[in-house]
Amino acid sequence: MSTVLTRRPGVAELHPVRTRRRWSATKIALGISVPVLFVAVWQLSAVLEWVDPFLYPPPSRLVPGIAALWEDGRLVEATVTSVRRVILGYLLGAVTGLVVGFLMGMSRVLRAAFEPFSWAWYTVPKLALLPIFLTIFGFGDTSVVVLIAMTVYFFVWISVMSAVMAVPTGYREAALMLRANRWEMFRHVLLPAALPEIFVGLRIAAGVSVLMLVGIEFVISDQGLGYLIEQGRTLLLLEQSYVGIVLVAAIGYLFALLVKLVGRLFIRWAADDNAIIPS
Amino acid sequence: MDHIGQLTPSGAPGEGPPAAPRITVREASRSFVTTGRSAVHALGPVDLSIGDDEFLCVVGPSGCGKSTLLKIIAGLLAPSAGEVAIEVSGDHRIPIAMVFQDYGIYPWKTVRANVELGLRLSGRPTADRREIVDDWLARLGLTDFADVYPGALSGGMRQRVSIARALAIDPEVLLMDEPFAALDAQLREVLQDELLAIWQARRRTVVFVTHSLEEALLLGDRVVVMSARPGRVIADIHVPFERPRSSAIRTDALFAKLRGELWTSLHSEVVAQFDAGKDRP
Repeated sequence: MSTVLTRRPGVAELHPVRTRRRWSATKIALGISVPVLFVAVWQLSAVLEWVDPFLYPPPSRLVPGIAALWEDGRLVEATVTSVRRVILGYLLGAVTGLVVGFLMGMSRVLRAAFEPFSWAWYTVPKLALLPIFLTIFGFGDTSVVVLIAMTVYFFVWISVMSAVMAVPTGYREAALMLRANRWEMFRHVLLPAALPEIFVGLRIAAGVSVLMLVGIEFVISDQGLGYLIEQGRTLLLLEQSYVGIVLVAAIGYLFALLVKLVGRLFIRWAADDNAIIPS
Repeated sequence: MDHIGQLTPSGAPGEGPPAAPRITVREASRSFVTTGRSAVHALGPVDLSIGDDEFLCVVGPSGCGKSTLLKIIAGLLAPSAGEVAIEVSGDHRIPIAMVFQDYGIYPWKTVRANVELGLRLSGRPTADRREIVDDWLARLGLTDFADVYPGALSGGMRQRVSIARALAIDPEVLLMDEPFAALDAQLREVLQDELLAIWQARRRTVVFVTHSLEEALLLGDRVVVMSARPGRVIADIHVPFERPRSSAIRTDALFAKLRGELWTSLHSEVVAQFDAGKDRP
C-alpha cells in the first residue's frame, strides 16, 4: 500500500495579498478580543453573583468610579504624577545603564573591578533602600525617581554588557582590519550589533519601572496611582483601587509598546518575526 | 622540510622568488592555551617569503593552522615565537585588507555603507568615496543592490560585498581566508573567475587560504602545502600557467597532474589530522 504525497499551492500562495491583509486584521482582532473577553467574564461573574460584588467590584461600577475621580481632578493628578516619575526614573536609569553597560562590555579591566560588586547590588531589593533615600532626598518625587532609576539601571546594565560581550569576534576582527579605533568600533560595530538584545532589556526594564513605581507609591503613600490604589484599599473604596490597577496596566502596556516602536526605528535591518513552527 | 622544492617543476626560467619579498615569515609559531589544559601547538615554526605582487595560495588539512598564519600576518594575532615582517609604503592608512569567510560584512549596514566603511574610516572625502564605491559596486555587479541590507542577499552576493569592501581601500596586501568556502560549487567558479580578472588587471600581493586544491592552482602563482597540526610548510610549488589565466586551465593535463601531486603530499596529512581529531575527548 503506497501513498502519494502531493505539494500544491495553498491559500497563502494563491492569494498572498489577501492572506497577509487577513492576518493583520486577525492579529488586531485577537489582541483586542482577549481583554474584552476578560472584562466580560469579570462583569458576568458579578452579575451572576459568583463573587461578592462589594469585595470584587465589576467593570460597570468602575465607570462611576472613574467619573468621580475625574470630577475632582485626582485621576489626572495621580496619572500625571506617576507618568512623570516613571519616565524620569526610566530615562535616568536607562541612560546610566547604557553608558556603564557599554564601558564594562568593552573593558575587561572595568568588568573585573566592578562586576562582583554590581551583582551584589543588583540582588538587593531596591525597596529595602527606600528609607535611606527618604533621609537623603526627603518624601516626594526625587526619592521615587532615583529608586526607579536604580532598578532600571541594573536591568539595562546587565543586558547591554552581555549584548556587547556577545558580539561575534568576526565582526570585531573585520573592523580591526579596517583600523577602527575604540570609538569607531563602538559606533560601527558594537552599538548596532548589540541593539536588538539591548532593546529586549529596555522593554523588560520598562515593565519593571512601572512595577517599582507602584510599589514605592504604596509604601510612601503621598501621590500617584500607587497611592490611589492603596488609599482605595484602606478606605474600602475598592472601585478606586481597581481604576488605579487598570490605569497602571494600561500605562505599562503603552510604555513597553513605545520602547518597542523606538527599537524598530533603530533596528530597521533585522527581521521582526521569522519564527516557523509546525501548524 | 625536505619536501620543499621537490614538486617545483625544474627549470622554470626567471620565475624564482623576487629579490625583495613583500612578506617574510621567520620561524613563526603559535600555541593556544585552552582552559584547564596544557598549550596546544597550532602552528609552525613556519618560514615563508612572499614576493611583491605575488598571489600565494595556502592549502592544508582543516585545523592545520593556516587561518592562524593568516591572522598573524594580518596582525590580529601575535606569534608565540618568531616574527613576520611586511613591507608597506607607509602613506596608506589601511595597507592590509582581509576578506573573511563570514562575519566580514555588517548586516546593519547597506551594501553601499559596507563597501564604503574602509574609505570612511581612512578619512577619504565623501565625493571621493562615492566615486570609488560606485566603481566597485559596478565591477562586482552590485549596483542594483546598493541600498539593500545584506540580509536580503544570497551568500555569493554577500561575498562580493566583502571583496568590494576590501578592494575599495586599494590595499597593498590582500589576505583572503577561505572566502568562497561557504558557496556552492558553481558560484565558487564564477567568483574565482571574477577575482582572477580583477587581480590580473591590478596586481597586488595576495595570501589566499583555501581547502580547494583546484582553487589554489587556478588562482595562485605559488601554492604552499601545510602539514597536519602543528602546521608546517611541507611543499611549495610554482604554478606554471601563463597569465592572464582563465578557468579553462582546469581541463589542462598539467592541471590534473599538479593537482595529483599536491594531493599526494597532502593526503597523509589530512589522514593524520583526522586521526588526531578522533582521539580528542
